[in-house]
Amino acid sequence: MIKIKLFGSLRLKTGCKGLDAQTEDVKTVKDACALMAEATGMKPSEYKNCVIMLNGKQTKLSSKLSDGDELVFLAPSGGG
Amino acid sequence: MSTNYGGYMGKVMHIDLTTGRTDEYPWSDEERRLYIGGKTMAAKILGDNLKSDTKAFSEENMLVITTGPFTGSGVPSSSRFNISTLSPQTGILTSSNCGGNFGYYLKKAGFDALVISGKSEKPVWLEIHNDSFTFHNAADIWGMHTGKVQQVLDEKLASAKGDKAVKNGKIVIGPAGENLVLYASIVSNERLAGRGGTGAVMGWKNLKAITVSGNHEVKVYDKEKLDTLNRKWFKYLKSHPLTGDQLPRLGTAGLVSTMQMRGQLSTKNYNYGQYDDFEMVNGETLAEEYNIVNKGCLTCPIKCARTVEVDGKAVKGPELETLGLLGGGILNNDLYSILKWNYELDELGMDTISAASTLAFAMEAKEKGLWDNGLEFNEENKDKISQVWEDIAYRRGIGEELANGSRWCSEKYGGKEFAIHSKGMELAAYEPRRSVGLGLGYAVSNRGGCHLNGGYMVLLEGLSLNVNAQTPHGKPDFTVIFQDLMEGVSSCGQCLFTTYAFFPPPLISHPQSWYTKVFCKAVPVLGPVLRLLNKFPRVVCFNLPVIFNQSKALHLVTGMPVTFGSFFKAGKRGYTLERHINSRFGISRKDDSLPARLTDVPQVEGDDSTRVPLERMKNVYYHARGWSDDGVPTPKTLRKLNLDKLDSYKVTCEEFRASSGGASE
Repeated sequence: MIKIKLFGSLRLKTGCKGLDAQTEDVKTVKDACALMAEATGMKPSEYKNCVIMLNGKQTKLSSKLSDGDELVFLAPSGGG
Repeated sequence: MSTNYGGYMGKVMHIDLTTGRTDEYPWSDEERRLYIGGKTMAAKILGDNLKSDTKAFSEENMLVITTGPFTGSGVPSSSRFNISTLSPQTGILTSSNCGGNFGYYLKKAGFDALVISGKSEKPVWLEIHNDSFTFHNAADIWGMHTGKVQQVLDEKLASAKGDKAVKNGKIVIGPAGENLVLYASIVSNERLAGRGGTGAVMGWKNLKAITVSGNHEVKVYDKEKLDTLNRKWFKYLKSHPLTGDQLPRLGTAGLVSTMQMRGQLSTKNYNYGQYDDFEMVNGETLAEEYNIVNKGCLTCPIKCARTVEVDGKAVKGPELETLGLLGGGILNNDLYSILKWNYELDELGMDTISAASTLAFAMEAKEKGLWDNGLEFNEENKDKISQVWEDIAYRRGIGEELANGSRWCSEKYGGKEFAIHSKGMELAAYEPRRSVGLGLGYAVSNRGGCHLNGGYMVLLEGLSLNVNAQTPHGKPDFTVIFQDLMEGVSSCGQCLFTTYAFFPPPLISHPQSWYTKVFCKAVPVLGPVLRLLNKFPRVVCFNLPVIFNQSKALHLVTGMPVTFGSFFKAGKRGYTLERHINSRFGISRKDDSLPARLTDVPQVEGDDSTRVPLERMKNVYYHARGWSDDGVPTPKTLRKLNLDKLDSYKVTCEEFRASSGGASE
């Protein structure tokens, strides 16, 4: 199981907080982008252009995923 | 005294509360050109009047309320005004910036700034309408909360006009200001000049409120070209991923999740950088469950403010700092309680950052057995907090001591290593051990532990970009650049949030792209290049198109010859001026500090890079600024910035009163 979480404006646009994906369906971060896009009716590029964190570290699209991973999609942010 | 420049009303008023006298304060076009307005102008006025032995609570201390040339000119996000004074919280210069509409109406009344000295014998409020100044007895409104008093003032103004509503701007204080809480704020509508205790100075002066109204107009130098620039600028800000998407949708509250992911979210009084329950108190949950509507200041396309419902009433929602410090900061996962406390603190008129951080310090001091104060990091404790705010505002019981802030409390009870402040001002929820550039900024910031006055390096170190947050390389030089640019923007009267659009949209919205990665990798090695720009700002003798419109806009508003380089130099002048004045109050290297928790204890056990290598960065920073190793601007630097004659005091309150022809009513 891969835990996928969504934060930032994309979460407000899609109304989706994230989902649990089967490990065999998402072998790479790129696969996860495609899955999220399909689940939320957005283009995969919306997810590819997020800041993507894998187990707390920023990662790239080609990174491989394994069982128990947590993948987070964030929007770049600023203010304060 | 009039002006040849556009954007200014050409008049600054000196109001002495001791005598009730009002008179024009001398302010020349040369000073407008050198100091622009806002916080820099205020610093110059305070620098001309404050002596090294002046105390915050004294008749000689001044509240200087300034606008900038952009205020009321139609430039985007330009309804800001600034309040500066000698801070009772830090003992040095403070400046606090505020949105809303007071700045706009101050200009409608015909003034660029107000300089308020002295102390009224009895509580008063001041009505300014065009050129007339009327002091009113404030006995009937003294003690009122900030929302109520603003409502009553509107009624009073309307009543004097036959029950016709009067369009006006106002600033008020609440009970915290009246009772001299060292971090009391000044409130304008729902906005606050929150930091540094400006409200306490106003309270000490027995000034409850000021209302401003009038029918003057701001004239600009080249309206046609400015309108064209403004149209493009509004469009650009609305299309930028930060100012056009993230801030309007989530407000600053949207930062909580990113900070959590980056280990930058203050948790349990900065013991940790991540809070397990952050999803219960983040911006997304706020937007999904509580946000009613987004609000913005006049002429602002960003609209970053939230409106939420508390006890059936629509009120202003919390900013990121309040969410962070009253959420993870005290291990509280109840979002509604934060909305409620935020509202209560605004109504009492005090800074949520200092109040929350002082509370967290007290809780940890109790936990460590240093201070038996009855405050603990637990659920049961939560119900007491509203009472604690009241106690602080009225200086009752435990509140009598908490009202003095974390520095004072740590000096009395011990625990200096975990009193999270710099120069007496508490830090703003960003955990600097995972953003070491911001750690430097907090420490060297002119007003104390302020993220924005510190250059806001965290924007690059994880919030918007992925620059290595643990390396000190390049950070001091970038800090200088951002501090100076922000100083310039603020002195124009514009919101600092517009500066986030300085980074071109593709850089922000394509974090996986090669160019974003190259930029992020390059930042730490760009230090020497930036040092050249810091040393010779005038070499950039042109305006930057699209991404930095401020310098061109300043020319079109005022008619002054301005380039990016001269704008940058004006910001540098302002920042150095503030430091120069602070040097008069004894500020030097030793004061550019952080508590030992942040410099000596790694956030991640065993990883030495997760602490702030402060002293090392300070050396480079002082060199880049042209300050001595002890952190004092050198005579050569002062001369280059036209600041070398500052110590010849211009007007003192005594001289002002001595020249008085008698008090006015």
